[in-house]
Formats: sequence, structure tokens, C-alpha cells
Amino acid sequence: MPRPTAVEQQLRARARELLEKREVAGVLGFRAGTLPGTCVPFLATEPGDADRLVLNRDCAANLAAWLPRLRHRGRIAVVARGPDSRSIVNLVKENQVERDRLHIIGVADPDDTQPVRNPVVFDEFLGERAPDSPPDDYADIREFEALPPAERWQALLDELSRCIRCYACRQVCPNCYCPTCFVDASRPAWVGRTPDPSDNVLFHMVRAIHMAGRCVECGACAKACPIGIPLMIINRKVSLIVRDRFGSVPGTDPDAPLPLTAFDSEDREEFIR
Amino acid sequence: MMADTNPVPSTVSGDFEPRIVAFLCNWCSYAGADLAGISRIQYPPSIRVVRVPCSGRVDPFYILKALQQGADGVLVSGCHPGDCHYLTGNYVARRRFAVLHDLLGFFGIEPGRVSFSWVSAAEGERFAEVVREVTERVRALGPSNRLADARLTEKAERAG
Ligand code: SF4
Ligand code: SF4
Repeated sequence: MPRPTAVEQQLRARARELLEKREVAGVLGFRAGTLPGTCVPFLATEPGDADRLVLNRDCAANLAAWLPRLRHRGRIAVVARGPDSRSIVNLVKENQVERDRLHIIGVADPDDTQPVRNPVVFDEFLGERAPDSPPDDYADIREFEALPPAERWQALLDELSRCIRCYACRQVCPNCYCPTCFVDASRPAWVGRTPDPSDNVLFHMVRAIHMAGRCVECGACAKACPIGIPLMIINRKVSLIVRDRFGSVPGTDPDAPLPLTAFDSEDREEFIR
Repeated sequence: MMADTNPVPSTVSGDFEPRIVAFLCNWCSYAGADLAGISRIQYPPSIRVVRVPCSGRVDPFYILKALQQGADGVLVSGCHPGDCHYLTGNYVARRRFAVLHDLLGFFGIEPGRVSFSWVSAAEGERFAEVVREVTERVRALGPSNRLADARLTEKAERAG
């Protein structure tokens, strides 16, 4: 076991205190996974659990994804880095989480590749704030877009053809809380339940559309994918569309409506006849 | 709904006659199509109309599914901005369509496979014009194959 970092020590002390005083029913954070270099979400419910909490770059999940499921457990404290907090902002807007039943422990994201590392909302902040990340220029997306359309299609088709439709990407995503996902509906069966390339592309395009204005680029889906499909290229394109067209960066403004539930009568419509 | 579309690819019968699924809103574009009909305005018989209550009812999924199931093109048409029967349905739809439009481009799907238009109940001539335009564009592109389910084509070929 590596020695706990300063922020981990603070986090453990604070979690123990919250649990001892019974201010919360649980503290949602991470613990070390069974394999080296992995972390898994963990709900500490006893003061004795507090010392198992960790926070490092291997913490790949977005903790907000667990909050709708913990809704009936009473008041929950949640450790929130930039992306977790952005998803919390979204889930509150979508009425999946009650803000006043959450105690948000903000921490800087140890992952310095995150576009937003510091939490957007929190009730208390532990440790040091991370320096602001440089503005995202979406260079990866622009580079891909410079390829001819046929090459882009082939590249995405090749990647998506490898999808085994395990839905791990969906299971870890904080945006995917629907009781019945469109891919699981059987009456009607909207999407063929086969890993045929056309069914895979259909699944991934619709998934991407469902993420519009909601995806916070936490990367949890891509890290969960057992096949290593580069899902972020699709998610980041969607973010870019939403930013360019509607001026929205998901989960960064608690007061703004979700862009796909709103409109501006002056929205660009150059693609409409 | 889409399960009923005939999966036989349009090329089987020789000349390519595009098959276009048109989602028309009940209050404007469908009425516009009706007006074109009763005014005996000629337009290509390429479209298969699905009447929807509002362009806001058109889930981008329907559009993609139509392409997967063998449509060569899709047209979505609703009331002009400001004229929506439900006041704002088409404004909300417009954002959704914008995302789909940009995403299709990113995936390398030919621009022109999927078209959007606003046609009012009074615009019979405009409706016919839109259909002519969309049909010509899709005809020029040829049969859609990028999103189409190859299993359907194979099945149709086997059936001769
Ligand atoms: S789709 Fe976006 S929000 Fe969901 S897990 Fe992936 S990166 Fe995170
Ligand atoms: S996790 Fe990967 S393999 Fe599984 S459904 Fe998602 S993209 Fe496909």
C-alpha cells in the first residue's frame, strides 16, 4: 500500500467524522481495486471504512453515476473532482439527484489531462486547487475531421465493428440511468441485438446523440470498454458540436438549462432548406 | 414502424430510383404535401410519407433507423420557425437535427442523405420543389450503403 497523500489523509479524516457524527449515510469515493493500478467506487458506511478511501489517477469511474442508485439511502457525501461535479450538476437538472441530500466534498482531479479538473460545485473543498487546464482546442477532433469522409467512415466503422455490445460504456456513464435503455427495449426492438456492424453503428450514433449537451468527457466509458474502442473521439465531437452551436459546456453552469431541452429562436439553421 | 419498409434494395429492379422516407408534421408539411396533391403538382414518387404530429416528434433515431433499413435518403419537414402548432416543437427539434446533421458529417455520411426543410400548409409548390431537389440529390449519390444493414441486401439478392 502506498502511503496516503495529503488529500487522501484529509479525505479519510473527514469521512470518518461525517460517519461518526452520522451526518451522512455513506461517503461515496474510491477504494483500491483487487488488481494493482485499479480503483473501484466504494461507499463507506462505517467510520472504520474511511481508511480504505483512496484518490489517484487510477480512479477512472465517474462517481456521479452511482448517485441515482443511492437516492433512497438518505444523505450521501460524495467525493467530486471536476468531471464528477459536472455530472452532478447535470443530474440535478435532470431530477435524478436532489442537491440538498448531497454533501459534496470537492477535490482537484489528480488526472491532469482532464479539461475541467476542479469541481464546479461543492460544499467543502479538500487539498489544493489544480491549475486551470488550457482551453480545449479539440485538436484531435479537427485532425480527424481533416480526413476525407470515406476515410472517416471506414475508420469509425472499423473501430465500432469491434464492439461486442457488452454495454460497459453505458453502465458506467452518469448519463445512462434510463430504466430501459433503447437498446434493451424489446417491444419494439429498436436496435438489433447483434454485433453486426450496422447495429453497432446505430447503437453508437444514437448513444452519441443522447450524450449531446450532457457528456462531461470524464472518459469513464472509454476506460471501461474491454475492447479499447476510442469512444472519446465520438464523445468529444459531440461536445464540440454543442459548444460551437449552442455555446454550452455541459455541467459547468448550474443555472443554464440543458442545451438540448432549450432553444434560441436565432439558432443557426444553415442545414435546413 | 420501420420494420414494414420493404427491404428490397432499389437497385435490384435496374435503374436506380431512390427510396426516401419523409417524416412530415401533421400541421404544416403533411398539409403542404396534401395541397401539392390536390393541386396536381407533379413531383417524383420517391417518397414514403410517415405522418408525425410535430417535427419535434422525430427522434434522430428514426432517421438513422430508416437509413439502416434500406432508405436511400430521409427528409424531415415541419412548420416554419414561429409557426409550430405546439409553439416551440420545431425549435427544440432544430437543435436535435443540428446535432444529428453534424454527427452524420463527422461519420462521413454523404451530406444530402438526410435533408431538413420547413414547408407550410400553404406551400404545395414548395413541397414539390423540396421533393424534387431531395430526390435529385439522393439519385446523384446513388444507393445508400454506409449505414445500411448488409444482411438485408444479401437477403434480397438471394431472393432475386
Ligand atoms: S459518455 Fe461522456 S459522461 Fe458518459 S462516461 Fe463517457 S465521457 Fe463520461
Ligand atoms: S464497452 Fe466497448 S465493447 Fe462494450 S458496448 Fe461499449 S463500446 Fe462496445
